[in-house]
Amino acid sequence: MIDPIEQFHLNKIFTIGHIGNQEIAFTTSSAYMLLAVVLIAAMMLGAGRALVPGRFQSVVELAYEFVANTIRTSAGSHGMTFFPLVFSLFMFIFVSNIVGIIPYTFTVSSHIIVTFSLALLVFLTVIIYGFYKNGLKFFKLFVPSGIPAVILPLVVVIEIISFFSRPISHSVRLFANMLAGHVTLKVFASFVTMLGALGFVGKVGALLPLGLTVALTGLELMVAFLQAYVFTILTCIYLNDAIHPGH
Amino acid sequence: MARGLRLSSELIAGVLVGAVLGWGFDRLLSTSPFGFIVFFLLGFAAGVLNVVRSAGIAPDRSRR
Repeated sequence: MIDPIEQFHLNKIFTIGHIGNQEIAFTTSSAYMLLAVVLIAAMMLGAGRALVPGRFQSVVELAYEFVANTIRTSAGSHGMTFFPLVFSLFMFIFVSNIVGIIPYTFTVSSHIIVTFSLALLVFLTVIIYGFYKNGLKFFKLFVPSGIPAVILPLVVVIEIISFFSRPISHSVRLFANMLAGHVTLKVFASFVTMLGALGFVGKVGALLPLGLTVALTGLELMVAFLQAYVFTILTCIYLNDAIHPGH
Repeated sequence: MARGLRLSSELIAGVLVGAVLGWGFDRLLSTSPFGFIVFFLLGFAAGVLNVVRSAGIAPDRSRR
């Protein structure tokens, strides 16, 4: 039986240095993060600036328009201040997810610490920018309008807990989808080899999980894009709260 | 599956944050176990609020 968890193991490639007694290692995960960044940079820098766009330039312009439209619809035109952040997040998650679908590669967003760091970055941006822009008016976010004064304290506490649960659900959603998808894919793929070892009848039976694996790969391709998009749109919705709280 | 994961992660996040807040409250003020009980239930309420919002039944905070 092939271990479906083995694909998530981190292997140390080399050691960068030490902070205290903690070793800072360059792992498989770091290597694939670097690969994603290099791919994005190559795509962006190699796109060219022709008036009639070529193939690569079309892709880059499409990506720009897509993210810009997402920000404008869910955070308003003011949200374009955060375009660099949101675009980097979207491209990083999208490219690393797509790279992760290729067999024998590592999926960066299948580790919760990675997605949680990204979600925490968004969360802290919202808090810091919210207070910087609105001052104490930012607290209006926790006080919904039109609530009777008797139950207001209860509602405010619930709203605060709901606010603090955001980075958790934000990160768990991306992480759980990528993890579950890759484990399912691996399990179905291992059925093919297991059945294939059982002679002629097994080989015929293996056609079923093989077809399912192909179908699941297509599904995973969609999930890779969809989860990057969901992460982006949630980022925009949260940033919208920082820009206009208590609307 | 995506929808199920989305809604369940919302609920679990609410309960988890409530529980952690209650636990921290108890540790600081040594009111164990009442802080935990109260904040756990409040966290459950916040989780349900998250789920209802993310399912689009109640109006979103940003679209009110």
